[in-house]
Amino acid sequence: MCKSASALSVAGMKNTAIEVHDLEKSYDGQPVLKGVSFAVGAGEIFGIAGRNGAGKTTVVEILQGLRRRDGGRVDVLGFDPGRERRRLRPLLGAQLQTSALPERIRVGEALRLFARLADGRTDWREFAEAWRLVPLLDMSFGNLSGGQRQRLFVALAMINRPRVLFLDELTQGLDPVARREAWQLIEQARDHGTTAVLVTHDMEEAERLCDRVAVLHDGRLVTCARPVEIASSVGTVRLRFSSPGAAGLEGLGRVPGVTSIGYDGATADITVEPVAVVRVATELGRLDLAPSDFTVIRPSLEEALVPLLNGDNR
Amino acid sequence: MTALADITSRQRRSMTALAALTPTELRLLVRDWTVLVFAFVFPPLVMLILAGVFGTRATVGFGWRNPQHYYVAASVGVPVIALALVGLPVTLASYRERGVLRRFEAFGVSPSKVIGTQAIVTAGLILVGVVAVLAVAAPTYGIPHITHPIQTALGLAAGTLTLVLVGIAVGLATSSARSAQAIGLIAFFPLYLLGGGGPPKGAMTGAMHSISNALPSAIPAVADPWLGLPGLGTQLAVFAAWAAAALVAICWLVRRAAHQP
Repeated sequence: MCKSASALSVAGMKNTAIEVHDLEKSYDGQPVLKGVSFAVGAGEIFGIAGRNGAGKTTVVEILQGLRRRDGGRVDVLGFDPGRERRRLRPLLGAQLQTSALPERIRVGEALRLFARLADGRTDWREFAEAWRLVPLLDMSFGNLSGGQRQRLFVALAMINRPRVLFLDELTQGLDPVARREAWQLIEQARDHGTTAVLVTHDMEEAERLCDRVAVLHDGRLVTCARPVEIASSVGTVRLRFSSPGAAGLEGLGRVPGVTSIGYDGATADITVEPVAVVRVATELGRLDLAPSDFTVIRPSLEEALVPLLNGDNR
Repeated sequence: MTALADITSRQRRSMTALAALTPTELRLLVRDWTVLVFAFVFPPLVMLILAGVFGTRATVGFGWRNPQHYYVAASVGVPVIALALVGLPVTLASYRERGVLRRFEAFGVSPSKVIGTQAIVTAGLILVGVVAVLAVAAPTYGIPHITHPIQTALGLAAGTLTLVLVGIAVGLATSSARSAQAIGLIAFFPLYLLGGGGPPKGAMTGAMHSISNALPSAIPAVADPWLGLPGLGTQLAVFAAWAAAALVAICWLVRRAAHQP
């Protein structure tokens, strides 16, 4: 759990890029964020997950200074986005969930315009090539497909070589190949020192890309950890292996953490708590039942997150 | 590099938003053929027809001026109304509706800069529209002598400023490009017809004349000093009142937008 931002620094991180303490925000008296705290390390890919209306987009908009907070403290690269947005802005890149470009602007014009707005020396053609936009340079924005628009948005978000990159629904509308290419480019940006904050519903993306994931529910942070930690902290693990008979399997029932044992005449299917995996393996070795196809099936991040997204953080 | 040094370096290199946005916005507006037709074809066409219909015989309705001269001078104000009330609000409302303003804002270009760019581009196109009217008038009816050149320029500038502010307010107040277009067109025709673009003000009944005097139409603001007719002082006072109201509305609408989810 991320109760305080200071408790969230990640081992090995030299600096903190973003710190959020007790962030609060209401719309028309309706609280949207109720004391959210977390920290993001420099060079980290940090995911924010949650159901629709959980407050994810509001958090990233406040971090960019696009929205005023009602309470709490926010620090992005040493600046308060609410008061020092103009100074902070050149260091940020953003791909927003609901935004567009003028219908008649051409892809090449958009890239050139944003490159000029960001930094007169940026070579926009480099971004056009990296995001496979070269064949589309003369096409109007209004004629682009959803995936082509998304590629353009991400290219525009990165065109100022930001120190912190906010990506809201990064791969929405991208085909599987483009999705993986997007992941690679984000990882490349991270390798060059860019910190990325990724708002996503795609748990495969979070698991594959994020160093840590924060889960928001009803305006509160319910967990904040590495995807593998979240996946293993919730639910149970299944162990499957071939077994010539049921003899010996009964003994596993006495191993602490084993919750059920199944056997279909050829394969054993044992459900255990995550901490019991090693104990079961040890016990199998002691019983001289060391199967060569011993498989540990952990819950996916999505399976682990569903109860959290429903507000069950116990 | 520290964050502060990085910022200074980036800010030094970056162009001003207005300088970067203006040529792009100009190209985008030029690609909108409906605006082009309304701003550059409609005013000269109507001028050609009306000036041809009424001929050259001066009457009381035209303030004892040559009707052809009247319609040339009056048509100079038409692109102002067309571009400020039909072109500008539609673009702004569309930008708000579709999240274009949000995208620019996330890139550090505030909505006020985008709005400012739109105002500059609109003013530039108004000048092109005025030139188009005069270019068509010169070989057909001739360009009449300008009686009060400074007052005429003042009327054109004040009318442009006021109607651009009104257009911005309409663009920010309306929820969609369609509604902005509807309101723009509803506003255009009274300002065009009651401003003297069709029947001259001297031919209007008392009630219509009174309504006409309260409207911020650029047509009499240009035509009256051009032809030596009185009334610019009143027109400037009307412009000031409308511009102040539009400014208050713009400030309120911008503040309201900042607090919406």
